[in-house]
Amino acid sequence: MSAATPRRPIDLAVVTAREKEDVVVGNEIIRHNRSSRLIHWTVAVFFFLCLLTGMPIWSPVFGWMAYLFGGLTVCRILHPWFGVAFFLASGAMFFQWLLDMRLEPSERAWLGPKLFEYMRYQTDDSDVGKYNGGQKLLFWAVSLAAVGLFLSGLVMWFPMAFPLWLREFSFLLHNVTFILFVVAIVFHIYLGTAAEPGTFGSMTRGTVTRNWARLHHPRWYREVTGDKASRG
Amino acid sequence: MSVQGLDIRRSSASVVGSLSGLRVVPTVSKYIDTSTCIGCKACEAACVEWNDTGRIQTEQTGSYQTLPTLHAQFWNLIRFNEKEFDGGIIWLMRKDQCMHCDEPGCLAACPAPGAIVQYANGIVDVNPDQCIGCGYCETGCPFDVPRFHPTTGKMAKCTLCVDRVSVGLEPACIKACPTGCLQFGTKDDMVALGNARVAQLKANGFAQAALYNPDGVHGTGVVTVLAHGDHPDWYNLPTNPHVPWGVKFWKRVLRPLGVAAVFGAVIGAFAHYTKYGRKEVKGADSRDANLPDA
Repeated sequence: MSAATPRRPIDLAVVTAREKEDVVVGNEIIRHNRSSRLIHWTVAVFFFLCLLTGMPIWSPVFGWMAYLFGGLTVCRILHPWFGVAFFLASGAMFFQWLLDMRLEPSERAWLGPKLFEYMRYQTDDSDVGKYNGGQKLLFWAVSLAAVGLFLSGLVMWFPMAFPLWLREFSFLLHNVTFILFVVAIVFHIYLGTAAEPGTFGSMTRGTVTRNWARLHHPRWYREVTGDKASRG
Repeated sequence: MSVQGLDIRRSSASVVGSLSGLRVVPTVSKYIDTSTCIGCKACEAACVEWNDTGRIQTEQTGSYQTLPTLHAQFWNLIRFNEKEFDGGIIWLMRKDQCMHCDEPGCLAACPAPGAIVQYANGIVDVNPDQCIGCGYCETGCPFDVPRFHPTTGKMAKCTLCVDRVSVGLEPACIKACPTGCLQFGTKDDMVALGNARVAQLKANGFAQAALYNPDGVHGTGVVTVLAHGDHPDWYNLPTNPHVPWGVKFWKRVLRPLGVAAVFGAVIGAFAHYTKYGRKEVKGADSRDANLPDA
């Protein structure tokens, strides 16, 4: 034990992040408390289970995924149940995060050019609160998709209980929703890891640094710290 | 029932079948003449016997018909259709079974590689060992033929007795037919036979007689002579059968687009990283509170 590395018996930020959100601990700000992170990862785990069991049924290009579960028949049996779990978890996440995710009128533009400006790192973020317009849009898109995937999935689970037109419609809805979902999630993961350093910790440890908050979510930073002078 | 040694023209969820290219076999077909069917059900019994599909409870529906519809253990059903026509009743018997379409909707809808195959001779068959029991084939079929076995969850339907045909025998139903209204041979021969019979019917006062071999599925491996050819629906046949548009659009357009989109998104994220890099936090950034703020 060298003296240069003093032991820290308690990591105050981690302990605080179990219950609280939007509070400052030293140089860190708690962004997601434990229940918030738990519901996120529950949704994520069931999403990937659905993805890995569904894609080999979707296209033989992804047939190799079926071997992770013991074959295509196992996937066919498991996929609907993973889907039900994903839907329930998404529902819980929806109600847990709903209050923070209400779109403000100024954020509507995120549906169009602003999303691309953001991807070019060109947006003026000075008025961005805890979630930016893109994050809110993803929340609504994912929630809507969860409903669409669940309803169409029910029809595909018990096809012969439904009329032909509804079966055809459900096949198409399940496909389109899934394709858009995957594209969105690829960028969600990319932005949360490689593209924006410091972000992933908000979903593991639950915290971000002050500087991270000032860069990405300045209004939230001001609200949390009470620092009125600071502009992003 | 998968038969070893038969070339496969098409296979579900696969890019190609397994045609060797060496063997040249003709497309085969059944011939059904509904105008000479006497409704004896010998074909039903022969089908059950040869294919060992076991006995299931029949259902009394107010006619001679054995069951209301096809069943996983009953692949050949004579439908007894009654129709008021020309001041009287006509009794239209039709052999309901897999039509062995040239463009099989079941095969198009099937997501399990090799679970549904079309042999080089045109017979459409199911491989139960590959079948995952999803039921999509029932949606793909324009003739409402595939059925799921209640306990195994596997799809089952008429195999056109591929095990008999592959060794040079005629299907069991054909062999049992006492009137000759069922025949078996090459598709060309059966179409010629059908056309000849249609001409005969027309000469005998059935001006609307026709051979049912619908173009919507590129023709079927079961050609049916209908005395009232202008009304296939009277025989419980679809007037213009085709693979459902939703299934076609899903498999031919959405799926390839979707696969491209999935890979495209991943490539796009990489491309973004090379062009725009990271959105770095300004200044020194650490969880450690002792470091000065930027």
